[in-house]
Amino acid sequence: MGKEESPKTTRRTTRSSALATPSKKVVEETKASSSHPPTLSDLVLGEEGESFSADDLLSSFPGRRNQILELLRLLGPQNSPMFPVFVYGGTSTGKTSIVVETFRHLKRPLVYSSCLTCYNPRILFESVLNQLFLHRKNAANGYSSAKRCESPSDFVNFLRDALVIILGNTKGNSGKVTSKRSGKSNGNMIYLVFDNLERLRGWDKGSTILPLLFNLYDILEMPEVGLIFISSASPDTYYSNMGYVEPIPLYLPDYTQDDLQKIFMRNQANKKLYSSFLSVVLRPFCRITRRVDELSSVFSPLFTKYCEPITDLNVVPNKETNQRLYNFFRPHIAPALNETFKVSSQQSPEVEVKERKGKGGTRKSRDFEVEELDFHMPTSAKYLLIAAFLASRNPATLDSSLFDSTGGSNSRKRKRKLSDKSMEQKETAEQELLLNPGSFPMERLLAIFQCITSVGEGPLDEEEQEDGGLGIQDGNGGLMSDVLLQLSSLCSANFIVTGGSCPLEGSTRYRSTVSEDMALKVARSIKFPLSKYIYR
Amino acid sequence: MARENQAEKALCLLRSRLCDPNFAFKALSHSDDSNYSKLKFLVSSSITEACNNSILLLGPRGSGKIAVLELVLSDLLQEFPDMISVIRLSGLLHSSDNCAFKEIARQLCVEHQLVFSRMASFDDNSQFMIAMLRECGLAHKTIIFVLDEFDLFALGKQRLLYSLLDAMQSVTSQAVVIGVSSRLDADMLLDKRVRSRFSHRKLLFLPPAYEDIQRLLEHILLLPTDSSFPPDYAIAFNAKLQTILADERFKEIINTYLNLDSTVKHLLRYLFRAVSDMDLESGMLSLENFKTALSNIQRHPKLECIKDCSVLELYILVCMKRLEVKEQNSYNFNAVMKEYKSIHDSVKTADYFARNVCLRAFEHLLQRELIGFADNRGQNQSIEFSPVKLLISSHELHQGMKSYGSCPAILQQLMDRQK
Repeated sequence: MGKEESPKTTRRTTRSSALATPSKKVVEETKASSSHPPTLSDLVLGEEGESFSADDLLSSFPGRRNQILELLRLLGPQNSPMFPVFVYGGTSTGKTSIVVETFRHLKRPLVYSSCLTCYNPRILFESVLNQLFLHRKNAANGYSSAKRCESPSDFVNFLRDALVIILGNTKGNSGKVTSKRSGKSNGNMIYLVFDNLERLRGWDKGSTILPLLFNLYDILEMPEVGLIFISSASPDTYYSNMGYVEPIPLYLPDYTQDDLQKIFMRNQANKKLYSSFLSVVLRPFCRITRRVDELSSVFSPLFTKYCEPITDLNVVPNKETNQRLYNFFRPHIAPALNETFKVSSQQSPEVEVKERKGKGGTRKSRDFEVEELDFHMPTSAKYLLIAAFLASRNPATLDSSLFDSTGGSNSRKRKRKLSDKSMEQKETAEQELLLNPGSFPMERLLAIFQCITSVGEGPLDEEEQEDGGLGIQDGNGGLMSDVLLQLSSLCSANFIVTGGSCPLEGSTRYRSTVSEDMALKVARSIKFPLSKYIYR
Repeated sequence: MARENQAEKALCLLRSRLCDPNFAFKALSHSDDSNYSKLKFLVSSSITEACNNSILLLGPRGSGKIAVLELVLSDLLQEFPDMISVIRLSGLLHSSDNCAFKEIARQLCVEHQLVFSRMASFDDNSQFMIAMLRECGLAHKTIIFVLDEFDLFALGKQRLLYSLLDAMQSVTSQAVVIGVSSRLDADMLLDKRVRSRFSHRKLLFLPPAYEDIQRLLEHILLLPTDSSFPPDYAIAFNAKLQTILADERFKEIINTYLNLDSTVKHLLRYLFRAVSDMDLESGMLSLENFKTALSNIQRHPKLECIKDCSVLELYILVCMKRLEVKEQNSYNFNAVMKEYKSIHDSVKTADYFARNVCLRAFEHLLQRELIGFADNRGQNQSIEFSPVKLLISSHELHQGMKSYGSCPAILQQLMDRQK
């Protein structure tokens, strides 16, 4: 297959240069507006005359040979219609890049739109139409789209118009320009690619847009249109009660360990050294994740650590040096495994931040900060954090028994009593673990805060002095304003989240998001006996 | 090179045949009691007798309802050139009444060279349609309304269906409404006032018989022996194909496929997959093509997903499985971690990772959709606390772990011990 692909490629290149139109995907507005009718060659990726052979394509994606060949076969020879294709596979398996690069190789027109950037139906429709009309938003047209298109029916009408114009032009063009080669058909297929299709399921109108896209091929009834869907979710997760003739599946599995070896060996200055490094780290890390993006961000700092003992980075390692490096490096592996997904503050932010999502992300970075002891926070804020944790964890009815006005000595007794009780309430404790952290009103938080600061005061006198009088034991009025300030900064740091307001009281309720480990650590840092107060 | 060109040309021909459903159904439409003949008789008689009519075409998706209809319409357009205008609507696009009337008005305007106003109101459009129906009736012109995805038109107040069918009650109008739906109970969805105006004619589209499929295969895959291909190539190709078609193994493959999907459209999809694998050097189809196409088109997405998991992710899956066996009806990440820790305590494994690493693996599983949140409320809580559930059966997990290359033996044992 690869062998016979190369002569065809050169032929295609000559064709696109014979058409003598710019084969850049993005065409300047002047061209589009200056009565230059859209032609297919404007939608071809890559520079004019650039040749990107099948071998280049295959070699730029190690471990993807079969899938690329299959995609090429499904796309077929020039000018042949195709059934819709559904490309799917996990994150960072090269779905999008393989499709796009394949089209760069084939030099066929491609309209690419991603449901990630086009986040609602209107933007998606207009993005497709803009590309087909070779329309580009700029200041002159007020950043407006070529057509205003909101409903699916408008979209299909406009799409049909645009395709007829664009396909009609090529037929005319090919008749004129390449009349010498009239027997040979020019590529008059146009391919629409919809990326990140899994996003579409979450849209408001997803249940109507999804069947529309899957049935688009049948609705358009134009054999010149090829549809390619790219999704990270497998086809079986797209069930709808509408039903549709399923597109042809093309699966990209996650990279195996051997594939990963090949991928990481690309573009390495000192291949020998790096391969010895990989032989040490790849196996253990593959047990955690096989995603290229995550592994590469872990490996880059590890490799510098690996190289520390040697001065000359260009050295060709022999067996002996490898052994030496390994012995030096071995103690670093196990801790590194457990820090696989962490972001340290020194690292550049783009390394992994893009991968994380929402609350999970912020939580993890926080945990990390605590462990590394670069966690700066006023003592009163720490107390407040603990108070919030306790308020979330403990049932409100137990507050009075836990925080008795007589102080710490008595509470120990209470604790013993509680532990008797906890034997029979073990099941409820288990439930507790499952449940969300409970929400609490601010009054309760402040009450607990006052209790625990009064408990903590006794043994912590020196430290309080050291911290320079934090205003905790100051008068009540001073404390309140300070604490409220701390509370709002804790909220903005996402340690405490404001939940929904209570329908009866109308006041805002809070909820602590810190994990038990972290609360214990904070407590340890201010020598507060937290474990006594956690109800189990 | 010449040979390769021939092969490429043949491949193009086969692919364009497969992608054109009308071509496939032409082969099936010639017998007298086919849906094609019935539909054609019905529509042409209502044209010649100048009467109103309505009919539903029902059948599973991909059984060729629209393709047969298109064949009929193109035949009729040739037979009665100036007496028909066809209005095509799709429930996917025009399910709202407003939109549907607008589209009808637009298509009528295009058909009769009138100026269509985008600003026309719902009322204007519906009155325009009624007026056009009357005018066309007076001119002995039949309007054929094709309503694809008919069931979607029956979702709302059914004003479109009512006004269409109601207009057809008058003597002056002359129209045929053809509903196409993959819901077999589509006519039961209609309101009483609509149902009473509907003719209750239904045509059922069934999967083709085995002899028909045999005929279809030959019709699609054999190359024409006229001048378009060099005769020796076409003859060699056809001979090779005939031996394949007669082969018992091939029949077995086709039967396996038809047991899953017996509609014509799915068969075409399968053939497309097989044909696109054709070896361009020899220019012949082989039995191997059909075999690989079968395995390529029948995928097991969940098993593939499990194969893609890392060992840590498998551990989490097994933990969740064990929790489910313990009949914990609701559990979250914290509970899974507890189980994970207890596994580690009882059998010392090498794969014991920190909590945040596990949380990340847990997020990966969520992304792979092997596990999911048990309720929708989970979105605004942090991931550790929202209850989750397995989206794969224990059988699938078992199968997946068996086919997993380097699955730790201890995991298999942990799975089995629970059984």
